[in-house]
Amino acid sequence: MNGITESGVGARIRRLGRVGLTATSHVGRAGVLAAATAQALARPWEWRRQAVVQAKAIGIDSLPLVLFVACLSGSILAQQAGYQFTDLPMWIVGQAVAAGMLTELAPLLSAIILAGRVGAGIGAELGTMKVTDQIDALRTLGRDPVVELVVPRVVAGAIMMLPIVIFANIVGIWAGWLTAIGLLPMSTEEYIYGVQAYNYAPAVIFTLIKAVFFGITITFTGCYVGFQAQGGAAGVGRTATNTVVAIIVALMVLDVVLAPIYKAVS
Amino acid sequence: MIEIIGVKKNLNGNQVLDGVDLEIHEGTSLVIMGPSGTGKSVLLKHIVGLFDPDEGDILVEGMSVPNADAKQIHEIRSNISYVFQNAALFDSMTTAQNIQLGLPAEHCRKVDARDDPAVAEAIRLVNMDESVLRLLPAELSGGMQKRVAIARAIVGRQRYILYDEPTTGLDPVNANVINRLIARLKNETGSTSVIVTHDVESAFYLGDRIVLLAGGRVQASGTPAELRNSTDPVVQDFLHPKLEQEPETVG
Repeated sequence: MNGITESGVGARIRRLGRVGLTATSHVGRAGVLAAATAQALARPWEWRRQAVVQAKAIGIDSLPLVLFVACLSGSILAQQAGYQFTDLPMWIVGQAVAAGMLTELAPLLSAIILAGRVGAGIGAELGTMKVTDQIDALRTLGRDPVVELVVPRVVAGAIMMLPIVIFANIVGIWAGWLTAIGLLPMSTEEYIYGVQAYNYAPAVIFTLIKAVFFGITITFTGCYVGFQAQGGAAGVGRTATNTVVAIIVALMVLDVVLAPIYKAVS
Repeated sequence: MIEIIGVKKNLNGNQVLDGVDLEIHEGTSLVIMGPSGTGKSVLLKHIVGLFDPDEGDILVEGMSVPNADAKQIHEIRSNISYVFQNAALFDSMTTAQNIQLGLPAEHCRKVDARDDPAVAEAIRLVNMDESVLRLLPAELSGGMQKRVAIARAIVGRQRYILYDEPTTGLDPVNANVINRLIARLKNETGSTSVIVTHDVESAFYLGDRIVLLAGGRVQASGTPAELRNSTDPVVQDFLHPKLEQEPETVG
């Protein structure tokens, strides 16, 4: 009986050890890729053309969906604030929408949409390239896969996330105003007063910092997971799923880590 | 010259290469053949530094591939082109852009692939019409993709061309086209060819020398005639496989 218990504990410790080793190995490999990416940034003439192509795919093509979701978020925020803060003046709705959109909803929801749309795409594309020898082919052709594939995507992600989040904020606050004057007993002046009463300057800085970090996280994680792909079509399918999961976990962790920045900038 | 010296490689607990020694002389055509899973492609990938050996060394013109730094590996690869088993063309690029990748990056940044005379020359050498240059790989047949991959391999006039299973997945007619193309390009460009295949007919057609890999080692090596006359049962089994009847299900 004792032996059975010991072997059960031993198996669990071994399993834990394996998980620890796998996690450490991923951290190490991601670190090496991050270092190579940072090094390649110093040679913009090698990747700028591809970065423009990627910027279109990541930014412009994602904008309609991001704006649609931002519109819904602003409307939901306005309704919930109006229905729940009944003991407070109505202008608080404008303040709640501005605060909610700028500090959390616009950057985070945009990032989650990009995780599914862009991150999964990057993971699947690079995963397919890996399992069909295209990445090895790049190496044999004297090209650096980090310069050709990773840097353009990471740069495009970091840059394009800025206008995406700015537009998401504008559309979200605009949708909140439409909802407020349409469904709640308040005027445009009250809503604008609420938005202006909110100390939005630090929130704008905060939302832009988050946008850049989220853009880098989505594209870099997509590239890293794509590079780890193994097997055929099933392997690529798993890679796409793993990419979305890894990006969303990384975004939530990053959101917690970045939260104190708001306090610092305000 | 390429020298492979006592190369050993273990992949996922499987001893794929177990002390392989080979010499590939300039201007010759060496065929590496053997059953599936005997490490033929793994050996080829060692030559361009896509794999590092657990033991042994690979010398390309006297330069050690496993011990090369980034600059040296770039120099080694600039002398070698590699035709991958599944062509490994880039889906998002046109045929012209794919072929142009065989040229130095600085050249590609300056010259548009569609107007590049080197690309047009390469596509002519593989007997394809220039109209395919604007097509994407997905719009080409399997045989055409292989020919584009070969065009990419020869466009930079590298001294060594490594072919990994160039006729796999092709019908006999297309396989013959590719074999004739490889033989003709060797004569026209004077390059050194290393061809991995498990197709015996292709091996005897293309090889000045043939090496049979079995169990991670060189089982036999020689000219096509020497291999044909070999008394080694492993060689004869590989060259003349017997189709044994599957035992009938009883009951």
